[in-house]
Amino acid sequence: MAKPGGSAETLIAEQYAVDLARPLPDAGAGLPAYAAIDRRGGAAPLMAVQARSGAPLRARMIAALSGTGIEGLCAPVTCGPAPGPDGRMALFVICQAPPGPRLDATRPWSEAVVIDEVLRPVATALDRLQGRHVTHRGIRPNNLFRAVNGGPVTLGAAWAGPPAALQPALFEPPYSACCHPAGRGDGAIADDVYALAVTLIVLALGRNPLHGLDDEAILQRKLELGSHAALLGTERLPPLLGDLVRGMLAEDPDHRPTPILLTQPSVARSRRVATRPPRRAQWPFETGGTEVWNARGLARVIAHDPSQGAQLLRNGAVGNWLRRSLGDAAAATRIEDVVPAHADAAAGGPTGESLAVMRAAAVLDPLAPLFWHGRALWPDGIGPLLVAAAQPGPGGAADAAALEELISTEAAASWAALRAERCDVALVRQEARQNRMWLRLSGLEGGMPRLCYTLNPLLPCSSPLLDGQTVVRLPDLVPALERAAARPEARRLNAVDRDIAAFIAARSDTNLAHELVGLGNGSGEGRMAMARLRLLAQLQDRFRCPPCPTLARWVTEECVAPPNEWRNRTRRRQMHERLDALIAAGWLPALVELVDDAQAREADKAGLRHAEEAVRAIDAELAALATGAGRRTAAARRLGHEIAAGGGLTAVVAAMALLCLA
Amino acid sequence: MKAARDRAPPRRGASLLWFQGLLCGALIAVSISTALLLAALLLPGLAAVLLDREPGRPVARTVLLFGVAASAAPFTRYWESAHTIDAALGIIGDPMALGIAWLAAGFGWALTEFAPVAARLVLEAADRRRIVQLKAERTAYEEEWGLPPQEPAGD
Repeated sequence: MAKPGGSAETLIAEQYAVDLARPLPDAGAGLPAYAAIDRRGGAAPLMAVQARSGAPLRARMIAALSGTGIEGLCAPVTCGPAPGPDGRMALFVICQAPPGPRLDATRPWSEAVVIDEVLRPVATALDRLQGRHVTHRGIRPNNLFRAVNGGPVTLGAAWAGPPAALQPALFEPPYSACCHPAGRGDGAIADDVYALAVTLIVLALGRNPLHGLDDEAILQRKLELGSHAALLGTERLPPLLGDLVRGMLAEDPDHRPTPILLTQPSVARSRRVATRPPRRAQWPFETGGTEVWNARGLARVIAHDPSQGAQLLRNGAVGNWLRRSLGDAAAATRIEDVVPAHADAAAGGPTGESLAVMRAAAVLDPLAPLFWHGRALWPDGIGPLLVAAAQPGPGGAADAAALEELISTEAAASWAALRAERCDVALVRQEARQNRMWLRLSGLEGGMPRLCYTLNPLLPCSSPLLDGQTVVRLPDLVPALERAAARPEARRLNAVDRDIAAFIAARSDTNLAHELVGLGNGSGEGRMAMARLRLLAQLQDRFRCPPCPTLARWVTEECVAPPNEWRNRTRRRQMHERLDALIAAGWLPALVELVDDAQAREADKAGLRHAEEAVRAIDAELAALATGAGRRTAAARRLGHEIAAGGGLTAVVAAMALLCLA
Repeated sequence: MKAARDRAPPRRGASLLWFQGLLCGALIAVSISTALLLAALLLPGLAAVLLDREPGRPVARTVLLFGVAASAAPFTRYWESAHTIDAALGIIGDPMALGIAWLAAGFGWALTEFAPVAARLVLEAADRRRIVQLKAERTAYEEEWGLPPQEPAGD
């Protein structure tokens, strides 16, 4: 958790100081960046890249690369929340600072410089990344840096947001460019090779070859002509660079050279895989004023409008065009194999239509991403996409509904099964089932919030209770709630709302499952309040959080029933006194021990039963005494007569004794 | 058999009465003076036996016992004399002897009348003390366990 460290300086992870007064323009490649210092004496210059709100950090990459110090890469060091320049909390990624300004792409670079100072160092860095099973997904000229006096370039940071979210369509393969920026997924190292190829072209030409075209136009051009032809057209590159770029821009990522191969450009040139351009039809497929000439284009057209696409599939227009114009009878047959049942089912609803169109698109273009309700995404991009859909703005609710349907139908598993040779079907199916399970999980710990936090491990908790605070890690939650408890408006709500429960469920292990289930099982407010107290107590105990008296009072006020459940008033009074003492101490586990002592509670109940029995006996005896006048009179008469008889007998004995004495 | 079953069982009181009659008859036959003296001295007791219909005859029992105690001295005096009719009549004619015997019998009767009253007063006091004690216990339970107070008795 960040702590205020000075007027313009904040500390992240208790170690890294961010100097908000020293912004580093352009160093963040589209995101604000500031100078950072390692308080423990690290020599390497650091920077802090500020993430945008609603853009989750790349947790897996940060975890895999922290402390690695890969040469030629602004590798991440750590991340954490801290107050931003506007005073509001924000997330920062601490990473190595670039050695100089970003590359100047306004003048042509020589082939030798491009190969020796750009291609080789970047390929080396990518090879290191590939060795750690991670990707960069942010390679473009304005994210490459070079010292003022020259030398190899350094790859900039690409960790403070979803993968490739800031990449223009120019630098992305078509199957990634057509996706929502947040839904592009981690991709493969071959996608970085593709982006590197486009970067090399831009640097070699000294300009953007598709300048003036928007992303959609660039995408259409790439789909229609293929990436290489779309980018270079009639432009000519030096021979070695031209051959390398041709291979690196292969439409099939499996055909692109690996980074290790690119470190030896002459070898990479000789091993270039010859790729065929996409098959072009004899006449175009026309729909809605759009013409497409190949299967990839057709896949995107029918996927763009699932309703119309399903109709085209049902009336055979797609199959006929594939057979007669494109001459691909195999594709037509396969579509008829996988689509009809869904197309018939689609007559009644958009889900069936989307399933049919998704399957058809996967058959038409095995490289294509998953199309769902007109949206394109990669399954590993669902997490950031869920966060983007949850942001306020037009279309967010529709996106969220579409994603929910995608997850609940496990469409990703169906999609993967149709392109088994290009993905790990078992893994995608397992993830799809797991996502569906989390979505369907009832109670506070399930549903969309749970999915969001589980799929985005560094997503801050978005509970309204934590207004103004950024909590990313579970150990920071209890201190944040302690601060939140100081606000009266927060005290009117439960201390663990849906967001916090989902956040805890996503970030914790199964040991807290019982308490999480108890939060929302409808077992009564008292029991749910106890579950909240137990949950927060476990968190405080597990993470050794500091005392939290304000939170303790807040949660205990919700648990006001437990002390009052004690029937013995002396015990209850003692409970309240001990409660007050423990609240002041702010240690929640002790509070739980006090109010959740089952043995003492059972003893209290047994005592109550004993007291009730005793009172019943007293009442019966009092009633008997009140109505016992007759019985008492008879007893008195009997006793009186016995006394009189006894007196008579005594008199006889006394008389006899006197006579004897006389 | 049916006739035997229908026949009422002999009453114990009747046989006792028959035995008492036999005893009195024997006493009169053996010593009429003694019977006369005892009848005079124990007259209140005998009257109480006849009048007391309560089971166990508690009044008669006490009156007789006190009468016997007061009659012991005159009867001893009669027995030590020639225990003739004259001696018996002499003692019967002694107002002191007869008066003491009858006063003692009267005291016995008074005791049987007043002892129950005194016993009732004692028992009522004990019950009141018990009620106070029970109510205190109940109040303690109510305060300790939050139990409802005892409902007032219905009108």
